[in-house]
Amino acid sequence: MRKYTILMVVSVLVGLFAMMTMASVSLSLITSPDNGPSLQWLAQEFEKQNPDIRINVSIVSWETLYPRLLADLRAKSGVYDIFTWDVMTAGSVHSGCLDLTKFFKEHSNIIPKNYDRNDLLPLAEKLGEWNGDLIGLPYYNNTMLFYYRKDLFNNPKYQKEFYDMFGRPLRVPTTWAEAVDVAKFFTKKYNSNSPTRFGIALMFPTTHTMFYMFPLFFGPYRRSPEGIREFGSVNITYGDYFTSDGKPAFANKYGLMALEDMKALMPYAPDPLGSDYGQTIEYFSQGMTAMCPQWTNPYMQFKSSPALQPYSEKIGIAPMPGRSVAGNWALGISKYIPLEKQIAAAKFILFATSKWATLHVLEKFGIAPIRESILDNPEAQKVIPWVKALPTIYQTETFRPRIPQEPQLESITDVYFSEMLAGKIPMTIESLKKLAQKWEKVLSSK
Amino acid sequence: MKEVVMVPEKELKENLIRMHDRRIALLFILPAVVLFLVMAIYPFIYMIYTSFTNLNLSMSGTGQFIGLSNYFEIFHDPLAMGSITFSTMVLLIAVPIEMAIGVLFGLLIRGLKGERIFRLLFLISMMIPGIVFGISAQMIFNYLFGAANYFLSFFGVPEIAWFGHAATAQFVILFLDIIQWTPFIFLITYAGLLSVPQDLIDAARVDGASRWQLFINVELPTLKSFIYIALIIRLIDALKIFGKIYMTTWGGPGMATSSWSFYIYKVGVSYGWDIGYASALAIILLIVSAILVNLLIKVLNLGETLELKREG
Repeated sequence: MRKYTILMVVSVLVGLFAMMTMASVSLSLITSPDNGPSLQWLAQEFEKQNPDIRINVSIVSWETLYPRLLADLRAKSGVYDIFTWDVMTAGSVHSGCLDLTKFFKEHSNIIPKNYDRNDLLPLAEKLGEWNGDLIGLPYYNNTMLFYYRKDLFNNPKYQKEFYDMFGRPLRVPTTWAEAVDVAKFFTKKYNSNSPTRFGIALMFPTTHTMFYMFPLFFGPYRRSPEGIREFGSVNITYGDYFTSDGKPAFANKYGLMALEDMKALMPYAPDPLGSDYGQTIEYFSQGMTAMCPQWTNPYMQFKSSPALQPYSEKIGIAPMPGRSVAGNWALGISKYIPLEKQIAAAKFILFATSKWATLHVLEKFGIAPIRESILDNPEAQKVIPWVKALPTIYQTETFRPRIPQEPQLESITDVYFSEMLAGKIPMTIESLKKLAQKWEKVLSSK
Repeated sequence: MKEVVMVPEKELKENLIRMHDRRIALLFILPAVVLFLVMAIYPFIYMIYTSFTNLNLSMSGTGQFIGLSNYFEIFHDPLAMGSITFSTMVLLIAVPIEMAIGVLFGLLIRGLKGERIFRLLFLISMMIPGIVFGISAQMIFNYLFGAANYFLSFFGVPEIAWFGHAATAQFVILFLDIIQWTPFIFLITYAGLLSVPQDLIDAARVDGASRWQLFINVELPTLKSFIYIALIIRLIDALKIFGKIYMTTWGGPGMATSSWSFYIYKVGVSYGWDIGYASALAIILLIVSAILVNLLIKVLNLGETLELKREG
């Protein structure tokens, strides 16, 4: 008798478990480290409100995310239901992404009543489009900021010393030429009174970082009246690297000047060709440098660094001396998963891009907002000081190409620029022309 | 009329049992064979096929047959040529140093007091995966906070941008490779030394042989085959050097530390997604490895050393 009771209890439990499993939808989300923690937190919050949907968040490095995602989309295997994609890879990933405009039209019932689509920043939304299809909802309106040591720039002692040395007041640089003097002033090797070892933390490694650092320097030339006259206006599909009619725009005196500006700053930076994202964040966090161009969410690391306390007095944030570069991320859904999963995934991305989520991920993780109302929100501006500066920065930022050939172009360019900065390839217009020829070959062969 | 040969019943029964056993054995190894076919042979054949196509994961409408274009492209690709330079450096600098130090360690350790502890200590670095090695190296060779520069500062050496200059970045990768793989050579040499008959050593000593003579005339002949095998394994492995580069220099600065296999990864996986071209690069790597190994076997007369001569 006892045997049968145990058997019955076990059967009921197994049945219940099976029913629970069958009733819930399990989604797989793949993302990069900069978006990962915020999406993990959002997934937990979402599951509280939607107990029938489970979300497993996998955080992989930038270098791993794209090969995996692309292989999945290309093979139509539907391993990843939801994914973050860097908007510059729109041309590569679009074929496997669900067209959200069409999907939301067909399933309008899943859109929460309070979801304000008009509040999304138009440019952020536009970057989630490809060929008129909305292939991702904007999630992280990332851009580059210029972090500096506010306490040092405001210190009368250093202001006087700088004036004595350069004959002009010490201020946060607004051009890269100004940045050279300031960087020199804050480098111990060139000024023994400098409170920091180096003036600026720069990252020019042979990785994708190089590809987004160049537009910071090239942007001011490309977007100048002369640049616009020569190359036409910038279109966001081809970005600042290209002319308005899709030809490389950097193989000339402007491209050369941008590289020269980069090289001019290198003596005042710790190992610029060997440093990447992690190293430069560490150098600034530890008070080793006076300035550091970085993305928005490293602010959270700077804020918690013991060497930068009190952070409100030590961390200054300004627009880039040249121009910033867009580093937006969007949330996409795979075309190759069942409808039931697509609906659950759509519910999540709507949740993750809601006003509530945008405000919370900004405050907790430094995720730059994708909504106008958050940019104007005094609470948000109070918690994260760069929020106020963002509208101006967004208006002037530069773009990398979003065409399908972008990865190949990036791969070739990183090596070329690195070798030019290292002096292995002569820094001349001729070298840039050779690089442009390689671009043309990639563009024409496909 | 043909003569009918009668097989004894017992023998027939035994044959049937043997056949049955064979079938069962085949059934048992079938999953492994299927797995091998699916996971190794099929991808390999598919790779050969894609090397003749323009398959690119980031582009739609690719995958068409383009003949030998990918192979011709390699000879016009300066980045591929740059990768050959560093791979050659690993082969010509790191591997010989590993061989020399590994053999030397094997000879020095044998018979030493605390032999077991030394043996264990030597093997630690070999057990660490390349990726972990890379992460540690990134910290050790960090420009401002790294242990390497800190240590050198005691000798008045100014900070070195280890990953920022071609020569130093190459040095770091070669150094890491030597640290990681010397124990492997040591292990094989040591095993070889243990197989040298003790009575031969004793006899040589009785005959008054010096340490050098003992090594040249008694130990080396036995060790030869072990050293050759270690050399071939290292040669093949050195061409595949990847993890340390991936975790430290990403092939930079420029192409200074980009090995052939790392370049394949960059083209095919990381940025390029150009599967067709990456497959052609991989095939070339395979051919080069095969040629090098065969050359080595011939030059070192390995067939004879290992007694691998064909029968008849």
